[in-house]
Amino acid sequence: MNTQDTNSTQSPILVMTNVSKAFPGVQALRSVNLCVLPGEIHGLVGKNGAGKSTLMAVLMGITDPNEGQIEIGGKTFSTMNSREAIDAGIAYVPQHVAMMDSLTVAENILAGELPKNKLGFINWKKVNQEAEERLKQLNLQLDVTKKVEGLGVAEQTMLAISKALFGNARLIILDEPTASLSRADINRLFNFVKSLKDKGVAFVYISHHLEEVFEICDRVTVMRDGRVVDTCEVKDIDVPQLIMMMVGEGVEDYTRDSTCTDEIVFVLNKLTRRGYYEDISLEIKKGEVIGITGLQGCGAEQLGKGLFGLEYRGIGEIKINGKEFTAKKPIDSFNEGLAYLPQDRYRFGLVGVRPVKENVTYPILKRLTRLINLINRNEEKIIVDEYIKGLEIITPNQEQPVRLLSGGNQQKVVFAKLASTKPNVLILHEPTQGVDVRAKMDIFRIIDELAKQGVATVVISTEIRELIGICDRILVMNNGRLTHEYKKGAKDTTPKNILAAIEGGKQNHE
Amino acid sequence: MKTKSSNFFAIILDNLIWLLVLAALVIFSSLSPAFRTPNNLLATLYRSAYLGILVIGQAFAMMSGNFDLSSESGLALTAMVGGLFLATTQNGGLGYEVAPGVAILIMIAVGLLIGLVNGFLITKMRMNNLIVTIAMQMILRGLVYIISPGATASFFPKGFTWLGGGNLFKIPMGKGFLGIPAAAIFIILAFIAAHIIIKYTQFGRNIMAVGSNPVAAKDAGIETDKVIRRVYLISGFCMAIGGLLIAGRLDSATPRVGAGLIFPVQAAAVIGGVSLFGGRGTMIGAFGGLLLWSILDSGLSIMQVSPFWIEASRGLLLLFAIGLDAIKVKGMHRKALEETLATSQIGLQDTNVVIE
Amino acid sequence: MNNRKSFDWTKFLLDNFIWIIIAGVYLYFASNVGGKFITPSNQVNILSHAAVLGVLAIGQTIVLLTGNFDLSAEGTLSLTTIFAMWLMVEPRTDAGGAMASGWMVNPLIVIPSMLVLGALVGLLIGTLITRLKMNNFIVTLAMQLVLRGIAMLISGGQIMTGSPALYNWLGGTRIKGFPVAVGVMLLMFLTVNYLLNQSKFGRELRAVGANRDAAQASGFDAKKTITRAYILSGFLAAFAGWMLLGRLETSISTLGQGMTLETVAASVIGGVSLKGGLGSVGGAFAGVMLLSIIDNGLNLMEVDPFWVQGIRGMIILLALLIEAQKFRYKPKIVRDVIENPAEKAKA
Repeated sequence: MNTQDTNSTQSPILVMTNVSKAFPGVQALRSVNLCVLPGEIHGLVGKNGAGKSTLMAVLMGITDPNEGQIEIGGKTFSTMNSREAIDAGIAYVPQHVAMMDSLTVAENILAGELPKNKLGFINWKKVNQEAEERLKQLNLQLDVTKKVEGLGVAEQTMLAISKALFGNARLIILDEPTASLSRADINRLFNFVKSLKDKGVAFVYISHHLEEVFEICDRVTVMRDGRVVDTCEVKDIDVPQLIMMMVGEGVEDYTRDSTCTDEIVFVLNKLTRRGYYEDISLEIKKGEVIGITGLQGCGAEQLGKGLFGLEYRGIGEIKINGKEFTAKKPIDSFNEGLAYLPQDRYRFGLVGVRPVKENVTYPILKRLTRLINLINRNEEKIIVDEYIKGLEIITPNQEQPVRLLSGGNQQKVVFAKLASTKPNVLILHEPTQGVDVRAKMDIFRIIDELAKQGVATVVISTEIRELIGICDRILVMNNGRLTHEYKKGAKDTTPKNILAAIEGGKQNHE
Repeated sequence: MKTKSSNFFAIILDNLIWLLVLAALVIFSSLSPAFRTPNNLLATLYRSAYLGILVIGQAFAMMSGNFDLSSESGLALTAMVGGLFLATTQNGGLGYEVAPGVAILIMIAVGLLIGLVNGFLITKMRMNNLIVTIAMQMILRGLVYIISPGATASFFPKGFTWLGGGNLFKIPMGKGFLGIPAAAIFIILAFIAAHIIIKYTQFGRNIMAVGSNPVAAKDAGIETDKVIRRVYLISGFCMAIGGLLIAGRLDSATPRVGAGLIFPVQAAAVIGGVSLFGGRGTMIGAFGGLLLWSILDSGLSIMQVSPFWIEASRGLLLLFAIGLDAIKVKGMHRKALEETLATSQIGLQDTNVVIE
Repeated sequence: MNNRKSFDWTKFLLDNFIWIIIAGVYLYFASNVGGKFITPSNQVNILSHAAVLGVLAIGQTIVLLTGNFDLSAEGTLSLTTIFAMWLMVEPRTDAGGAMASGWMVNPLIVIPSMLVLGALVGLLIGTLITRLKMNNFIVTLAMQLVLRGIAMLISGGQIMTGSPALYNWLGGTRIKGFPVAVGVMLLMFLTVNYLLNQSKFGRELRAVGANRDAAQASGFDAKKTITRAYILSGFLAAFAGWMLLGRLETSISTLGQGMTLETVAASVIGGVSLKGGLGSVGGAFAGVMLLSIIDNGLNLMEVDPFWVQGIRGMIILLALLIEAQKFRYKPKIVRDVIENPAEKAKA
């Protein structure tokens, strides 16, 4: 449902109608409608995998939609290439700005059309003057003789926006522009952006910092699972409502019985990592399944990766079965009994071109090798077959490259890999992302089965209903701290309450 | 915000080459009287002119983010082609005995053709520039041998050898004359011209833009492929001029000439501040690199250091320059990470601040 | 890609296309050159020629599988041979012996020493690339210069001759007319092929080359794997040096010039992807055989050796051209902007 701005007599700068896009194995966009008005700052929010990036890719002409149309600058496109998108006035400002950073600000602004003197040689004085002039028109002051790589991030972003405007952009996509900005920087950036509204420039503002979205946006579109949940005026809703729209409803009616024992298996004591989380203390029992939920930026992702060894962990004590957990690399984590399922399956979870068999056994190869590093093929085949059967992985055979499997089956392969390491502790990051409904049930059953075998499981996810269904406890993480706890079966363990406990991804800036 | 000390450091790094040149001059001058003579200093430039023109070609390529490792063979090929057209049959040529001007034009045509092929393979066929130019280096070297049945062509007319081997004018000095080699003046002028192109023409700035970030350059409307093709044409042109210089100085052309030259060419450029990553450096700096190289060469041989220590020291100098280049450029990207961490308040109690 | 229900002939043909080309080229020479080409002793010649290149190609393939290049192998070959000569050869005043150390070390000690030296060079390179994150192309290219420079230093730029018979055994001996070196080379190919397919190391190499992040998250240490690949490449380069030196009984600091690019071409011709993760030494073997047959055939046709050199260069370019077309240029923005994992899967 698109809410039209009531006092708008202008026609929209951009109308995307019914845009759908599928990639092998995943439906990235489903009938998306988006409408942006001139002079509007239009927020676009949704968690990782909701489809924001794909939608922007379509808008920028990088990828073609399977269905739907894009109406921009008076023209209608069913497919568009990037040249056409730029000509239509669409510009993209990425988080890490793409400019010629070994050249000066002035040169970046005037690239390709540097002012010359009568002899045809470049007049650098004029170059700098002209650049300053242009920036002045936007009320921006920068040292134009400085190399771009020497600028602060806020300046680089503002410069990128300016460049886009000089290139006659009418719709600028800002992708997480405030990720590494201080409060003062953000103020400057926002003032700058707001000042451009009067010129009729429209912005699509992508961010997971919801409070900022409220600060600067006029309307906001929420995406989830490839669909637009709603588009609203920012003044008509508040952060909790926004969160409710962003976070998935999940699958109905899956519950499992608790398999929690009394034996404490996994202990975290005051785990702290500068900039991401602090004072994380937890005790998890054998067979217990706990959930950690929170918005992007709350630190849960870094915590998971840090525990496994994919990132720096910080300081603090960790014990598994009473023994200190010292692993700093993934292989050591596996050996010490901790396994991790990454959110980004394609980048961290699986080696796409290699077969199912290999992907399952990577971490346990040592166990399977006999003399001189040679793999015992028979034993391997048996183990992999067991997992294929046990997890109901649909694949023509063990040799199939995993990238040809469906999303759900790929995820099962990752589970097989983790299970084969016989972990004591399992950390799962968004285990049902990119998995179709039927496979989701399978995933829950797998988690249940592993918990029955005594694995202490941590599920980091924003699918609140799923968490309520499978977890013994749900912890809420905000701004790097664990702030709330909800027990299974308790009266206050409802999606509404848990959502309310999640803060809007505000970052501490001062 | 850059601190004062990091600014100072950056300035030193940028102009390091001139400090090195100065140091080398001082050291060798004090160690060896033979080094100090004006004769010798001019001779140094004179001898390395052909190297210098290749450095210019390579610098253009590197600034655009590419490499041209075929220049040493291109130099040999153009020199041999020129020689064959000029020399009499007794002196190893084909006997055409063309006018020097014609020979030079032919050489330039060959050089440009080489550049054309390189540019085409790299931009249109999308092949990796390192591999293409290495392969070309082999092919061209083979061609040199093929076209030179008699191994050496020599004794060229004065008009041809003047640029490489002749004197521009003579200054009376002491008992005799001090000859100012044309090559020495020429190479200085060439670097100045190259510098003007890079710094003061749209084309030159386009080269830097492409080298700095080809995608951003394209977005700015610069035709990156065209720029790169032109750069390789320039490099090819430089090969021809290099061939002219060396054939002129030696008054002969042999198939082996220029073998192994690619490393000093590369080294001089990198030491002079032309970054391997593209988009950085100046022609003046590259000239400094050339100077440093030739001073080292001249100074060490005057001191009668074994040629093989000279080789080894060159290699180490190249590695050092490459390492320094990497540190300089990659160092920029750590800043962004540090900024991110500095703005967050979470976990401030942690006293071990580690930057990964 | 295709479903593997029954035996897929199209895929089989495409994968092994190289052998069809080899067959074609062989037949061409057989018909044009006639008698001389077909003789058993000529087959031995072809194989001999391929022996040294083959061993080098094994090393290059191993490194290519991890997504890196080793452009220094010929430098290692040169340095280790010079080193060996320096240790072993009797010092004489004539050219060829002047620079020897005079120690006249027993080959039984020299051979392992040169192999260890090769491995150490590989260790150094691997460390520079993985720890200092320097570009592998540039580092190995520069290393080649340094290694040759050191070789030149030690040898005084002169040739060194007179390696003892015990040393030359590998490169110089023939058993019933069949060179030991060739047998060893074939054995190595078979062994390495088997190992790469059946061993943990082989899996590591391919995983790291195909997707370094996922390999890391699956428990592999990418830095170690890559370094090991370079160590092996250095070791094999030294081994190739031992072979070559044994055959030539002479070494010079410019030994092996140009072979590196040939090994890259051979690997590429044989289906090893320059992006890493895909390919096998079997393919590299095919590439080496092709290059060797062409060399041999052209020689028998009495083609000018410099033409042969030129043709070799052109084959290399052709192989790389075809390879380059497989990965057509993708704008950088696509890779930066698209975080949707499905897009990555498609890419």
